[in-house]
Parts: sequence; structure tokens; C-alpha cells
Amino acid sequence: MIVLTILISTITLSAPLILAALGGYTSERSGIINIGLEGKMLMAACVTSLAAAAFNNAVMGALCGIGSATLLSLLHWLLTQKFSLDHIISGMAINAIAMGGTNFLDRAFTDTERTSGVPVLPSLTLKLGSGATFPISIYLILAFLLPGLLALYIRRSRAGLRLLAVGNDPDKSRLMGVRPLRVRLVAALATGLFTGLAGAMILSNVGRFTNEMTAGRGYIALAALILGGWRPLQAMLACITFGLFEAIQIQLQGTNVLGAKIPSEAWSALPYLVTVIALAGFIGKSRAPLGLGKP
Amino acid sequence: MTGISKRFGAVQALDSVDLHVKAGAIHALVGENGAGKTTLMKILYGALHPDSGQLSVKGSSTEFRSSAQAIAAGVGMVSQHYGIIPELSCLQNLMLGAEDGPIIRSEEARQRAEELARSMGFRFDWNADASLLSPAAAQKLEILKLLWRKAEIMILDEPTAMLSPADGDALFHSLRKLTEDGATVILVTHRLPEVFDHCSQVTVLRGGKRVAEKAVFETSKNELAELIVGKALESNEVRNPELGSTRLQITRLQVFNDRGAEALKSINLEVKSGEIVGIAGVDGSGQRELVQSLVGTRPISQGTITFDDLPISSESPAMRIAAGLRLIPEDRHEDGVIEEWSLEENAALGLQRLFPFSKKGKIDIRRRAEEAAKIAQRFSTKHGGLAQPMSSLSGGNQQRFVAARALDIEPKLIVAFQPARGLDLAATAEVYRGIRDACSAGACALVVSFDLDELLENCDRVVAMNRGEVFEPPPNKELDRDAIGRLMVGAQ
Amino acid sequence: MEAFQGLIKGSLGSPAAIAGTLRETTPLLIAGIAVFFALRAGLFNIGVEGQLTVGACACAFVVLKIPGPFGIVLGTIAGMVAGGLWAMPAGLIKAYRGGHEVITTIMLNNVAGLFTLALVSGPMKDPTQEGTTTANIAESSHLPAVYDQNSLTISLALVFGLVGAIYLAGWFKRTVAGYEVRAVGANPTAAAVAGISAKNVIVRAMTTSGMIAGFAGAMQVLAFEHRFYGGFSPGYGFDALGVALLAGQSAFGLIPSSLLFGILAKGGTAIQIYGVPKGITTVILGVLIVVAAAIRYRKAKAVES
Repeated sequence: MIVLTILISTITLSAPLILAALGGYTSERSGIINIGLEGKMLMAACVTSLAAAAFNNAVMGALCGIGSATLLSLLHWLLTQKFSLDHIISGMAINAIAMGGTNFLDRAFTDTERTSGVPVLPSLTLKLGSGATFPISIYLILAFLLPGLLALYIRRSRAGLRLLAVGNDPDKSRLMGVRPLRVRLVAALATGLFTGLAGAMILSNVGRFTNEMTAGRGYIALAALILGGWRPLQAMLACITFGLFEAIQIQLQGTNVLGAKIPSEAWSALPYLVTVIALAGFIGKSRAPLGLGKP
Repeated sequence: MTGISKRFGAVQALDSVDLHVKAGAIHALVGENGAGKTTLMKILYGALHPDSGQLSVKGSSTEFRSSAQAIAAGVGMVSQHYGIIPELSCLQNLMLGAEDGPIIRSEEARQRAEELARSMGFRFDWNADASLLSPAAAQKLEILKLLWRKAEIMILDEPTAMLSPADGDALFHSLRKLTEDGATVILVTHRLPEVFDHCSQVTVLRGGKRVAEKAVFETSKNELAELIVGKALESNEVRNPELGSTRLQITRLQVFNDRGAEALKSINLEVKSGEIVGIAGVDGSGQRELVQSLVGTRPISQGTITFDDLPISSESPAMRIAAGLRLIPEDRHEDGVIEEWSLEENAALGLQRLFPFSKKGKIDIRRRAEEAAKIAQRFSTKHGGLAQPMSSLSGGNQQRFVAARALDIEPKLIVAFQPARGLDLAATAEVYRGIRDACSAGACALVVSFDLDELLENCDRVVAMNRGEVFEPPPNKELDRDAIGRLMVGAQ
Repeated sequence: MEAFQGLIKGSLGSPAAIAGTLRETTPLLIAGIAVFFALRAGLFNIGVEGQLTVGACACAFVVLKIPGPFGIVLGTIAGMVAGGLWAMPAGLIKAYRGGHEVITTIMLNNVAGLFTLALVSGPMKDPTQEGTTTANIAESSHLPAVYDQNSLTISLALVFGLVGAIYLAGWFKRTVAGYEVRAVGANPTAAAVAGISAKNVIVRAMTTSGMIAGFAGAMQVLAFEHRFYGGFSPGYGFDALGVALLAGQSAFGLIPSSLLFGILAKGGTAIQIYGVPKGITTVILGVLIVVAAAIRYRKAKAVES
């Protein structure tokens, strides 16, 4: 029973991480450093909530949420590619704008009278044995389908080939007739889509927006991307592992393990620690896209 | 190509140059560094636009606004720096920029690639990472890239620079096969043996002008070597200054370049007290790696460098500076200055730990300003004040400043890479006089330049580098233009 | 407009408001110095947030055990050591493994937050209180104020920050070590040719930056908060990055830029009574960072051409 509960919550918890990591993947593979995943998700969650309430329509909510994340992603593209702003500074600024902006939007436009959650996309609830339920939303399905499809698309398409080429060496790519700016623009749009989905999913799991509700998932997704060596399927595995850590932490809250009380924070810190150790040990520069941050 | 001219700022890179290449030929384009070869080829490839002149391809007059147009017209170029992206597979590299459609049908692509490769007698593991390719295989892949794009006119810019002789021969074998099938090859090269073994026509550029266009069988190596370097105005006497004991001794030095290829093949060289030794050679013969291993920014794999009996090859760069080593770097922009800093702060760069710039870790601002003024004055650097940023100076003035800085505080070993880069004749003479004065006062110097005449005029003896080896001219020919010129291009 | 007036009034309108603004300015200034130091060496120390947190925690741990002036000194040292140690891995990974310092420091920030939260939930928790907090430190362990009249309080910590910024400006200009740090930040290849080991400078700059951040945390505990609790830093590290970016080339610039951030932070809380959410000030900060960086880029370009 406990195993089943952990399994279900692992899947549910890792799904938004996977979507966000895919957003990081398209961006970083094209050579744009992206520490702004968190901000884009947060903005998407907020706008999804506001739009869904305003239109009283879940689909409109999700679309507007994805649109808002895409706008932020385009802003990042514009600042880094057209105005040659440092990628880190731009990412930081976008996180700040999203954090403050969602706080502002939420206060200014949320209907405080509303008691029920906003409309969200319906999900199929599976009833498993022994009373456990497993809600399957469209986001969940996408989260587990997209990594494979994206990996396949990147490997089999002209766009994918050019994405990898630009991310590794924009200058040589230019010499071969590829236009790095345009490739990166498409990549930025994809990043907006994926992070938007992630944000909309987080919102629809809860039903209403709360301040900083993404709670650092953007950074965990970034960690997963790095651990996965900037590859989609491996990043998905890392996300699932991190989801498992979180599921275990929720299960273990307040209970004793092997007679000792392990603080739940230890489980939460694991993804970050694993990433630092990995960076110190086996992941060198070697696996990062070589053109990361190059104009 | 007729009457092509191109200016870069004050430099006339090409002055009404004609180039006529017959279809189906391997046509050599030779000349020293800076003669304008690469500029001319970039114009043909559409990467640069000429100021004036006519371009006609296959009989019809054309104008290329971009490389994409040149590619469409059947012109392809393999540049000096490889265009292969190591992280992609061989097949991906082959296709990049010229894919069949939005979705890649890898089976069909592989078949076409295989056919192309077979027609040339090459074999590739198409799924393997291109990073695994040897330099020779990468060069072959570059040629296949041209074929994939259906190029009919192929420009190869020094294709054998990274290849072993055997691989070079194989490359030319393939090229000849291509020309038999109707392709035209323009070969940019420094190496005369290649011209005589493989080409039918040759065009010589010197100082942006075409000095000759000949059929290869009508000329000789000696004639070409003379055309390339030009006639000496006066023959140089062998100088015999008062030489002291050996101060710099390089013994069996072996160094690898960034690609992991052997850049210095166990070289030996010594410089005596008071001596200026020039290193002649075409670009990429190992001069860069030699200078870097002297300064300490490139690890050496074997051999030793000793200076005044001190094994400096095992010391840190800072210790070498403390021992009196001074560098006039090749790329002053990258290596010599910090552009956004003031002249005053730049005056201390590299000397920051030495008296009078600092004492016990404290910078002496007043003394630094004095030294900066002295440095700026020495070769009359034009500047708008010592507090102005280095970036406000023109390239030539930066060079004067950097050269003067290297001579400022008791240099004992001066290593100079193209010290006269961007300088006019008067300033060039001044810088060399400065080096000479320092050497008379007990220092010694090693000067790298691509301009043989400059070295012959200013050094006590000149050695040639070619493909990672140092060749010393025979006794009493230490300043013999012909002898050294032949060593430089590998035409002993 | 009314909101803007409210912002100014709420941050500078009365002695108490000014005291509040200065209180907000102090950690931003000291943490800003930390970010600035690393930035001169070409490093983005996003980890100031975490280094400040562990520094504060270590300081509180020591001061709770040893009260009095001796404890203040020991606690400050403990905070600096903890901050430095928390930053060092990022420097080592950058220098010897090529891992980007931004990624490692982001990760270490999260670990720092969780690690200290675990401590104040368990071993360091004050059993008499509900929340995740330590007990208050003894009165004798409070850092004294240099001025305290008419509800305008100026803490010694602010003086430390001001002196630190001024000292640092001179240090970068007048010492060989400062010169070498700036050389690595401005042009690593030219620095290498000039005999400066970039690896060495990177590790030392990162560690020093972490020590300054730890100092900022210690000051927060000793001067203002008088205890350590879960979620100690409300994002000082991130704001400090804005402070440092806005400061420009000289450490003197940290003083006005941290004051500006302090005004926005204090005023932002004040304008909430006008119905303007605090979040708007964060948005302003984000835009400011972009504008400051863009101006610097323009300048660099104008100089080039």
C-alpha cells in the first residue's frame, strides 16, 4: 500500500519537473543558458489561474499561461541574443520580474470572494485496489510522452540537427548556412511552451495560485537537466528520481526510519547535493553544450 | 576574377588582382602570410565583397552577396579552420545546412553519403562522433561536404597544414580524381612541393598584387620561391656582434597543440647573451606553441628550457617574469592588454609584482604613473591621457605601448611575436632598435615574424621553422635570404 | 503617483522610517560587497544567499553558547568560516572541473536553506517556542548601535559595511592581489600571460566572497534578528546581486545602490496599505538590473568602436 502511494505520488510530482526540464533542454541545447525556468513556470501558473477564472474556461487558462511563459522566454531571447546581455543576468532579472509580477497580478486581479478553485483541465481518475486513486491529467500524459518524442524529433529532423549544431558551435553553423538567431528563437518558443505546461500543471494540481507556489522546482529541473547530461530521456530519469525523493519525504514526515529520525529536509536536499557532487566528480565541462553562452 | 581590389581601413589587401582558373584544373595560389590569398578566396566564396572588380563563374558574370549564393552557384570552400562540429556524427556534419527536408531520412542520406564516399574511395562510420576523426579523416569529410552540396569549384585553404605527408598525398589523389570528373580546385598553399607535384597552374600574390600566373611546368622551385618573397634590395652581411655565453637553451622540446597534434617535434635552439635570433616560417609552423611554452602558458610534454642555468620550464609564469622574461605577445588584444583599463594600469600588466610597480604587495600608484609615462614616450604612443582606457588607442599605438612595456624594467630574455605588427617602417625600426639596445645591455632576444625581410634586417641570425621543426641555415648563411626562404617552405 | 509618494514617505519620511530603511540597507550592502568581490574576478556568486544563511546559523550557534563580547567576536568568525566553506566547493568546481559557478551555487543555496531548517527544527530548536527558531541570544551579545536617539537607530553593522566598501575600493586599486583579481575577471588570457594563475584567483575570490556573505549573516543575527530561524534570508543574496550589478566598476558604488534597494524594500512594505502589492518593487528591481547591464554593454560597445 505504502509502496503504491509512493509510486503514484512519484509520478505526479515528477511530471512538472520533466516538463520544465524539457524547457531547459531546448534552451540550453541551442546555447542559451537558462536559469529562468522557475520564473517562467511561476508566471504560467499565475496567469493560468487568472485567465481560467476570467474566462471561466480551463483551456483558455492553460493557453494564456503557456502564452505568458512564452513571452518571458522571448524576452530572454531578445535580451541575450539581440542586446547581448549576459545570460545569467537576464535569467535572474526574469526570475525577479516573474516573482514580483505574479505577486502583483495575484493581488490586483484575483477575485478574493471566490471560494472554489478555478476551472482546470479534467483528469481521469483511476481507482486502484485498496482505495488508492491515481488522477491522470493531460499534463501527466504529456510529461511522460514528450521526452521520448522530443528526443526522436531532435534526432530525426532538420530543426533538431540545426539546434544541436548551433548549441555546439554557432560560428561554424553560420558558415554552413544555418542562422543561429533564428534557430534559437524557435528553441525559445519551445522553452516557453514546455515551461508554460509545467506551470499550468502545477496550478491545476492545486486549483488556485499562491505566492511562489513553484517552490524552486525550476531549479530542481535545471539540476535534473545537468545530471541527465543535457539529454531529454536521461533528464526525465533524473526528474523521476527527484520526484521519488520528494514522495518519500512526504511519506516519511514525522516517522522514524530504522529507529532514527531523519529530518525530512535531508530528502529534499538530496537532489541538490547529488548535482553538486556530480559536477565535482563525473560531469565535467564535457557534456555541456559547448556553445553555451556564446553569441 | 578580374581587377579585384579590397581595402581594410588603411591596408590595401588586394590591388587589382586577376585570377583565371581553367575548368578541371588544380590551380595553386601561393604567397606569404598577408599576401591576400585568403581575402581573395573569401571574395570568391561570397564572404567578403570586393571594392571593385569583376567576377565571372562558368563564363557568366556574377556577384555574390552572401556565401549562400556562392554555394548555390557551385562554389565551395574548406577554410583553414575546420568546419566540422565534433559533437555531431559524421553524417550529421555532412548534411548540416543542406538537409533534404524537414524530416531527415537517415537511411537515404546514409546511402547517398556512402555512394559519395565510395566514389572517392573513402570509408566512414557515419554514426560515429566526428570528434573521433583524425585530422586526415576530417579533411576528407570536408571534401565530401563540398560534394554533398554539389560544388563544382572547390577552394581549399591550406588543406595539408594538419596532415602527415602520406595523408596529404592521399588527399591530392582524391582531388585529382575530382578534377577528372569535372571539378575545379583552387589550392591555397605555402608549400612549393605540393605545387610541383599536384598542380597545373600557379598564381603568385605578393603584398596584395598578382606578381605571376604561370603553368607549373614553365617554372622552377627557385623561381617561385623568389617570386613569393621578392628580390632582396641588398644582401645582408653576416653580423658578428660581441656574443657572450649561451643564456637560453631549449633542449629536445616536444609540445602538443590544442588538437593534440605534435606542434614542436623535439626542437633544439640556443640564444647567446646579446644575441637576437629571428624565427622565420609560415604561420602555423609551431612558432605559437614555442612562444607559449617559453612563457609558461602551454604545458610541455618533453624536453627542457633553461635560462641562465635555471630550468625555467618547471617554473610558474610568474617566476619566469621575475627571472627577467618579457613578452611582446602576438595578439595584443587578447594577450597583451586589458582594453577597458587605463594605460596606467596596463603599464603594470605582467610587471605588477616587480619594483617599482609595487613593493610588498602594495601598488605604488605614483611610480606606476611615472613608468606609464616613460613607456608611452619610448615609442611615441599617441594617447589622450594616461587615465584613458587602452581601448581608446589605435592598434598601432597599442602595439607601441606593449612593445615598450616589455623593454621597460631590466628585461633579460625578450620573446617577441611579430613585434612590428601594425607598425609603419619608422616605428618598426624604433622597436627593433629598442630590442637591440636591451641586448647590448646584456639581454638576449627571440623574435618570431612572418616577414623574412624584417628578420634579416634586424637579427643576428635567423632560423626557419617548418612543420614543428627548427632548421638552421648552413654556416655563413645565417642571413642568407635564399637559403632561409627555401627552409621555410620546405624546398631544401 | 500616490503610491510613489507613499514609497518615499514609508522609507524616508520619518526617523523611524529611515531607521527601517538603513536596517534593510545593511545586509544588502554587506552581501552586495560579497557579490561584488566575486564579480570582479568574473564570477557570479549567486550563492551569497546560502552562504549568508549558514553564516548566520553558525554565528547564532556560537553566540548562544558563549554570550558577551568574546562571543560576538567568535560568532562573527564562525559565520565567516561557515560562509567561506560553503562557497569554496563552487570555486573549486569552477577552477578544476569547469562546472559553472551559477549552477553549483544555486544548488548549494537550496542545501543551505534545508540544512539550517533541519537544524532549527531539531538540535538548535528552542523547545519553548512553536516555530522553527533558536532561542534569542543574550542581551550582552547584541551588537551595539552607534547612534540611537529619537527612534533613529544606526547599527555598528552598517558602519562595518560602509568601511568595508570603502576599504575594498582602495584594496582593488592599490594592492597587487586586488589588481590580479581584477585582471582575471577582465581578461583571463591576458592575466595568464601576465603570470597570474586564474585557478588560484578563482578559488580564493569565491571563498573570500563566501566569507563576506557569512559576515553579513553574522551581522544580521548580532545586530538585528538576535536569533536564527528557518527561512532566515528573504532573498538578500539575490537582491545583493542587483546591488552589485548596479554599483558599476567601483566598490564605492555599492553604497548608493544598496541604499536604493533598501528604500525599495522598506518602501515596498509601506505601500501595501495603498493596496499596491509589494511584488511591484521586485519587478522594478528586475527591470533596474536589466537597464544597468544594458547601459554597461552600451558603454563597452561605444568604447570599442
